[in-house]
Amino acid sequence: MIIDWIKKVYLERKVANSKEAKRILEKLKGIQAEVVEGVETIKEELRFSADPVGEGKQILYLAEQKSFIRPCPCTPGCVGCGYWTIDLDLNCPLDCSYCILQRYLEGQPLTIALNRDDFKRELEAFFSQKKGKFLRIGTGELADSLALDALTENSVYLAEVFRGKPEFLLELKTKTSLLESLLGIEPVPNIILAWSLNPPAIIQSEEKRTAPLEERLRAAVKAVASGYRVAFHFDPIVHYPGWQSDYQKVIDTLLKSVPSEAIAWISLGTLRFHPNLLTIARRRFPLSPIYDHEFVISWDGKFRYPRPLRLKIYEDFIDWLAEYKAENKVYFCMESTQIWKAFLKKIKRGKRVSAFPFPWQT
Amino acid sequence: MQIKKISLKELDLEDQRFRFTLDRPDEKFIRSVKEVGIIEPIIIIPRKTYKVLVSGWKRVEAARVCRVIALPALELEEKIDDLEAFTLAFFVSYGQRQFSLAEKALAAKKFHDFGLGDRDLIGRILPHLELPPERRTLRILLELSSLGEGLEIIHRKDWKLNTAEQFLNFSDEERKWLLDLVKKLTHNEQKEIVEMFSTLRRRKNRGLKEICQEPEIASCLELFKKGRPEAGGRLLSLLRKESRPQISGLNNEMDLTIKGLRLPQKVNLEYDRTLEKSSLRLVLEVESRTELEKLLHSLTEKLRDERWQRLFEILNHKGE
Repeated sequence: MIIDWIKKVYLERKVANSKEAKRILEKLKGIQAEVVEGVETIKEELRFSADPVGEGKQILYLAEQKSFIRPCPCTPGCVGCGYWTIDLDLNCPLDCSYCILQRYLEGQPLTIALNRDDFKRELEAFFSQKKGKFLRIGTGELADSLALDALTENSVYLAEVFRGKPEFLLELKTKTSLLESLLGIEPVPNIILAWSLNPPAIIQSEEKRTAPLEERLRAAVKAVASGYRVAFHFDPIVHYPGWQSDYQKVIDTLLKSVPSEAIAWISLGTLRFHPNLLTIARRRFPLSPIYDHEFVISWDGKFRYPRPLRLKIYEDFIDWLAEYKAENKVYFCMESTQIWKAFLKKIKRGKRVSAFPFPWQT
Repeated sequence: MQIKKISLKELDLEDQRFRFTLDRPDEKFIRSVKEVGIIEPIIIIPRKTYKVLVSGWKRVEAARVCRVIALPALELEEKIDDLEAFTLAFFVSYGQRQFSLAEKALAAKKFHDFGLGDRDLIGRILPHLELPPERRTLRILLELSSLGEGLEIIHRKDWKLNTAEQFLNFSDEERKWLLDLVKKLTHNEQKEIVEMFSTLRRRKNRGLKEICQEPEIASCLELFKKGRPEAGGRLLSLLRKESRPQISGLNNEMDLTIKGLRLPQKVNLEYDRTLEKSSLRLVLEVESRTELEKLLHSLTEKLRDERWQRLFEILNHKGE
């Protein structure tokens, strides 16, 4: 169990006696809990650790959060996909070598927001403000949507909040297979269950504590059988010797077991990272070979594979997906107009400034 | 505490326990000392039979150069311990100027050796040094402080924490060799060479010594030995080619193809060397309409050349 990793719980004083806090603490019996005024106390403590990022993933902080919904920031100069994010959890107990949260949330413990009433008010305001629009929204931006679900029970809670709101697609994105709670309720048609996928070799070497590929795919099959639509993210795609046959096998296995009609979207994005992540990742994952590749510093200051290589990778992916008629489900995550333009015909859709709307909306 | 005139002879300048600054007096400072002497008192403290300099190394050095015999000194009481005296030395300089990373490393080491605990060092001192207040920063600083003479190079070229962290991944022998190699280069050249050697070492899974035995690099290193001024630039372009083979290869092909077009002198054909953009940029420099007409005519003639097509093929290249 992922939550077995948690070695200490901190509670923000404001919410320490709340019903939600008690419910979560009940599931963490035997783990030391301490009340603090704010997150600074924990961050201060983490500073003295040899690995603040790794340590932060083992500390749970139950707190009140000020706001929850925001547009996905994307990257300046990239084609945006019109995504919105809900941040109910911050940080992730899984430990992927390429994860930007290592830099973005450095010093932030695993944080669960307990003020659901405030969240619900904000969400309802969002629903009425965006009424009539068709939007994608997800909880997997600053956390894994399901990794802490056994504690938070957020998936079922969100499912009920989104039920009956067909124009708002809620994506729950994960690298786990922790679906039990959602499979126990009446499926919600506008909930999309999504998995990030990589070949077993990459999962093994770069995605610590995540579920193996076959478990993720088994979970996806179960989700479809229960009536959910699913999505898949090949992101980051890693270039390494043997990448073509490995990724092609993943696509074959996926599309032989999940019918393409049940797939809402597939995103593609090659490995990219901010230069500051490089220092942290090299320190935390000294044996990871993925950062030794040739990169260019692209228009947004991030390291990316050279464009000729990215084009080749995307072209191969689209060809492999086309064999299963799934190529028109594709969008590129954080890619330039140059890359989009190269594939507009092949993926039979797309705009130059936005990956949205998707074909089934138009 | 009292201010008094002190002779340089009374100081044991071999005892550098409080020294963490590496700047030497520059000509301007020496001229000023020659003109008016030392005005601002140095700080000293009695230890055993002699007095130890706590703060004012640059002034003392300037005084020696200018043969100033006596200079004003603020003498601390003997009962003040080394940690307190060093804290004073640190904050006196802190208010006056920015420290280099090398000096920060020395300061951290002194605090550490004088008994300041890690928690205080991380929580209280590192924020003053404008460095991430974390254990790993302290580890880097302490390791850096043990570099001895190498610290001078790191100080002079104002290295940043990231470069230092990469540098420390090399073995002691490699560090020495690397510092000796880059000591005359600029800050940016040093940074890039450390980064690229670090990448190549990881990618090739070989030591620096082996990498440097590769014929092209070895012949470039010969230029360093001969003290040739072009050595730094040559090594950099060689390392860029080695660490970014795809982009370097395509850049090289682009450059050769552009050269083959033999464009008029006042025409410049540019492209994005990262190859993120697939367009060409044509820059014309003209001083009259007639000149522009001539240039455009000449360019139109050149358009028949097959190399133009090749340029766009390279810019739109797909592949590994």
